[in-house]
Amino acid sequence: MSVKRSFGRVFGFFFALGRKTGKTRALALLGLFPVVLAVVARIFLRGRSGDMAAVFTEILMVFFLQLYVVILSLFYGTSVVGEEVENRTLSYLTTRPVSKPAIVLGKYAAYSLLMFVMVGLGLGVSFFILNAPRLGDPALYATFLRYLGVLGLGILAYTAFFTFLGALLKKAIIVGLVFGFGWENVIQYFPGSTQRFSVVHYLKSLLPIHRAGPGGGGRGVALLLFRLEPTAPLVAVLALVAIAAVFLALACGLFRTKEYLSED
Amino acid sequence: MTAVIAASHLSKWYGNVLGLNDVSLEIEEGITGLLGPNGAGKSTFMKLVTGQMKPNIGAVTVRGRRTWNSPALFLDIGFCPEHDVFYEDMTGLEFVSGLLRLYGFGPAEVRDRAARALDIVDLTKDKDRLIRGYSRGMRQRIKFAQAVAHDPGIVILDEPMSGLDPLGKRKLIRLIKDFKSEGRTILVSSHVLPEIEALTSRVVLVHQGKILAQGDVPYIRELIEAHPHQISVRSSDPRALAARFVGDRSIPKMTFGEDGRTLVVETYKRDDFFGRLAGVVLEDGIEVEEISSPDDNLQAVFEYLVGK
Repeated sequence: MSVKRSFGRVFGFFFALGRKTGKTRALALLGLFPVVLAVVARIFLRGRSGDMAAVFTEILMVFFLQLYVVILSLFYGTSVVGEEVENRTLSYLTTRPVSKPAIVLGKYAAYSLLMFVMVGLGLGVSFFILNAPRLGDPALYATFLRYLGVLGLGILAYTAFFTFLGALLKKAIIVGLVFGFGWENVIQYFPGSTQRFSVVHYLKSLLPIHRAGPGGGGRGVALLLFRLEPTAPLVAVLALVAIAAVFLALACGLFRTKEYLSED
Repeated sequence: MTAVIAASHLSKWYGNVLGLNDVSLEIEEGITGLLGPNGAGKSTFMKLVTGQMKPNIGAVTVRGRRTWNSPALFLDIGFCPEHDVFYEDMTGLEFVSGLLRLYGFGPAEVRDRAARALDIVDLTKDKDRLIRGYSRGMRQRIKFAQAVAHDPGIVILDEPMSGLDPLGKRKLIRLIKDFKSEGRTILVSSHVLPEIEALTSRVVLVHQGKILAQGDVPYIRELIEAHPHQISVRSSDPRALAARFVGDRSIPKMTFGEDGRTLVVETYKRDDFFGRLAGVVLEDGIEVEEISSPDDNLQAVFEYLVGK
């Protein structure tokens, strides 16, 4: 079977399975937090659209970008290979006529789509609740799509990196936590080129900066863009795509050559 | 007959632990039993055959092709792993169908094959239940179903009867025997001797990573020339019978059974003994009620070979 068709079959298998797991339900519930916050803000900040928009950019986007996407990518990414090894289900996949790279790529794509749906739903509902007074403004939708795109690229890049970690290490989650909430949260604030060694730098470089008007209210995205020396948007997109591609290729190569032995 | 599975000087280490030691083996069509105690190397061999591990030394091939990183081989191989593990959030039908789709079958064919496989293992009425709710016997059967749903010519079963009650074992043994048909190759491992005996007479004995013996049970038994055969004769006058064989240098030992009617003879020359026994019965008129060979079975052969 060609790699493309194998990829499609593996994708279908894990997208169907991923939707049903307890992990997905729990993480999807976490994604409701911004919706709840948006509803609360809507109730208490009624009539103050600038403040409501600021709640989105300064609280909810921080939640999505620096917490939710990282957690999702960490749990799903490390489990692309790691979960199969830990649960001893790897033999069900490697004794089928599908290539090992197709297994990694298919499962990565399935989980990425699942995460995108979870993030997209939470983002969409909370965004439009908080920007409800401006629903007639087309620029609002462009802003929303930009936020969604940034988070989508974040999912792709982080998940690829964590997929590689999961293929490389047994306890990849621990290293992933250190990376996701240690390295990423520290390096991004280093001046000069150093901050370019973090994924979140490129994601933040793509965020819209609002002053007054739709989606931003009266303040910039101050909290998120603190100390940021942004990279040009096109370069940032290319960097994120390259990060995803490189780590996926490394994960595929590693999975193809490494033996994964169960602990018995 | 051409070997379907061939191992040549196969060795496998786990760090400093030797899992398989210079194993050379050819497996032909039909059912072959891989027998040995836990830790003997059976699962290691099966993982090498199914490409889950690569050998440190030597090679293992299926139909002439090495198994490591050869996904195309698995169009015709079905594997039933040892461990009781599944995608627990799936129903039995979803599990079998989902894995069938990985072979590239279309939706209609997946449906048909899954239905057939579930019918073979008698899980049709439980197909829509989550696997996590299945009994141990049902879990073993669904594992067998996913191994055979694509109708492979080669089936590798690693301890398929592990954890089953006697009824479950009987069901699965029947399933395996029913599945064997012209041209199919089935390799099944177990550490429980009667399970292998119930399936096949073609056995490979494995211990501490080495092949101790292989072939039919009687053939293996014949190999053990240094070990005397045990023959039990129940007769009307066992002492008179024993008296006729005292002094025979090929008979190192004779004992009497607790029932007072049985003579158990250990002899290096079984055929000679039977010949002489027939003569004694005719000449002396001793009535012989039953003759049996208590150690002409896998248990005795294996215990002797592993030195227990």
